[in-house]
Amino acid sequence: MSAALNKRPFDGGRAAYLALNGALLVFLLAPIAIVVVFALNPVPYISFPPIGVTLRWFEKFFAGSDFMNALWLSLWTASCVLVLSILIGGACALALDRGNLPGRAVATSFFMSPLMLPAILTGLALFQSYLLIGIGRPVWGLILAHTLIAVPYVLRTTLAVLHNFDRRIEEAAAVLGANPTRVFSEVTLPLIRPGVFAGGVFAFIVSFDQFPVSLFLVQPKAETLPVVLFNYMKFDLDGAIAAASMVSILLALSVVLALERLIGLKAYVKL
Amino acid sequence: MAVAIVQRQPISRVAPIAWLIAPALLLFVLFFALPFGVMAVMSFFSGNPVSNPNAVLTTRHYERFIYDSAGIYHDALWATLRIGLITTVISLLIGYPLAHWMARMQSRLGHALVLMAVIAPMLTGIVVRTFAWMTILQDKGVINTMLMQWGLIEKPLPLMYNEFGTVVALVHIYVPFMVLTLTGVIGRIDERLEQAARSLGAGRLRAFVEVTLPLSLPGILAGSLLVFALSISAYVTPSLMGGTNVLTLPMLIAQQVGTSFNPNFAGALGIILLLVSLVIVVAYNKILTRLSGEQGLA
Repeated sequence: MSAALNKRPFDGGRAAYLALNGALLVFLLAPIAIVVVFALNPVPYISFPPIGVTLRWFEKFFAGSDFMNALWLSLWTASCVLVLSILIGGACALALDRGNLPGRAVATSFFMSPLMLPAILTGLALFQSYLLIGIGRPVWGLILAHTLIAVPYVLRTTLAVLHNFDRRIEEAAAVLGANPTRVFSEVTLPLIRPGVFAGGVFAFIVSFDQFPVSLFLVQPKAETLPVVLFNYMKFDLDGAIAAASMVSILLALSVVLALERLIGLKAYVKL
Repeated sequence: MAVAIVQRQPISRVAPIAWLIAPALLLFVLFFALPFGVMAVMSFFSGNPVSNPNAVLTTRHYERFIYDSAGIYHDALWATLRIGLITTVISLLIGYPLAHWMARMQSRLGHALVLMAVIAPMLTGIVVRTFAWMTILQDKGVINTMLMQWGLIEKPLPLMYNEFGTVVALVHIYVPFMVLTLTGVIGRIDERLEQAARSLGAGRLRAFVEVTLPLSLPGILAGSLLVFALSISAYVTPSLMGGTNVLTLPMLIAQQVGTSFNPNFAGALGIILLLVSLVIVVAYNKILTRLSGEQGLA
């Protein structure tokens, strides 16, 4: 049936469909490519076309103490969030999947809800609370706020893995004489690990790129990288921003590749 | 993007493993449920009720918004909703073909590559992508420079520091969410239904409009809801792309916290934004259940 359709010499509708989708891919990817061009262009303001290739913006980025402090704070925060969200989210997924809890669907939506509510409001609500109890803006407050936003990602990937989990493997291990602890550490954990890690990688990126939640929760002299870049961009648009963007993009790209290796992108997107 | 959960046989006894929920519950109660409560309470106080003994209960923050003597709050709410709506409609129009293409693609490699192209921008921070659009749309940006060099225009087109630029960047940022939501739904529609319609004599367009499109309605609604919720709460993109010509509710909130230091009024604005998003979520869910009920797709 479809072979008969393909016999037409030129399929105009099909060509238009493919051209449209090609254009959409360009729309999605061109801005990222353009950042690369500006990161390497030596002119100190945004100008097009580029006139050469330089690494001076990368030097400026890596030599600037503001940028570096922000980069380290972001990396430190994201690393803490990675560990915390894996532990909290992974445990929560196990409890939700196997705890026979009453109101399980409600609980799941509750734990997923930070994704549906405006993130800037989560930041504002936490800011108000920290203000009310007078603790200022501690780094641990920022880390826990990011963890809150990151846990749903870990939850989602881990619940998906648990959902496809064949419980008979665990039963087999138990029948063969493994005690519950050993079943958990040698059977359950290795099997759900890809899901947990994929969620963790996503948690890292969510924290590293986080802006709305951080906005009200960072101290003026100790801001995360996205906040520093945002404030810098309000006054100055030079290659240093593009270089900083490149660093973020490379980081994101390596994470996509890590995701692909760990669990396969297809598996992630099905969730 | 709800998680599909198959209900296991209900067993009355709660297993000991359920205790593993405790850390998450503690985090979500202390750092999520409680703070939103705090924000709601603070929005009815004139100051910080803990540190300032003179703070009194008041509805003046809400009155300030409702009577709008400064003449900006209603405009800001309207601009927020307008930008959210336009962004959603455009994201749907350009996201649908891409999602359809991806869902129907035979080649595994092609599918993986398109998927990568859709996810890569998602993993690039909002600030970075807004920067990219600033370099493209500003007066000395890529588009204006090229058009001027080709002699097509005399002076730069106003592509940025207005709602147009804001919407373009927002669409770029949120269209991947639309594509991923739609792909899942379109992928689950049996392709043979469309083929059946075509073998019964419907043209390609008619088969799409009368079979595939209605069946993908739940995905359209879910994706639109997600994009709308995300774009009405956007802060970075409207403030950088809109400059001083665009004022949205999240920008007002940031102003109240940052420059005016009136966190109580910011809280009231936050509650208003929250109510608006909740009303939309609930209304959408109603429509969604009704439409999917009509088609027996629950």
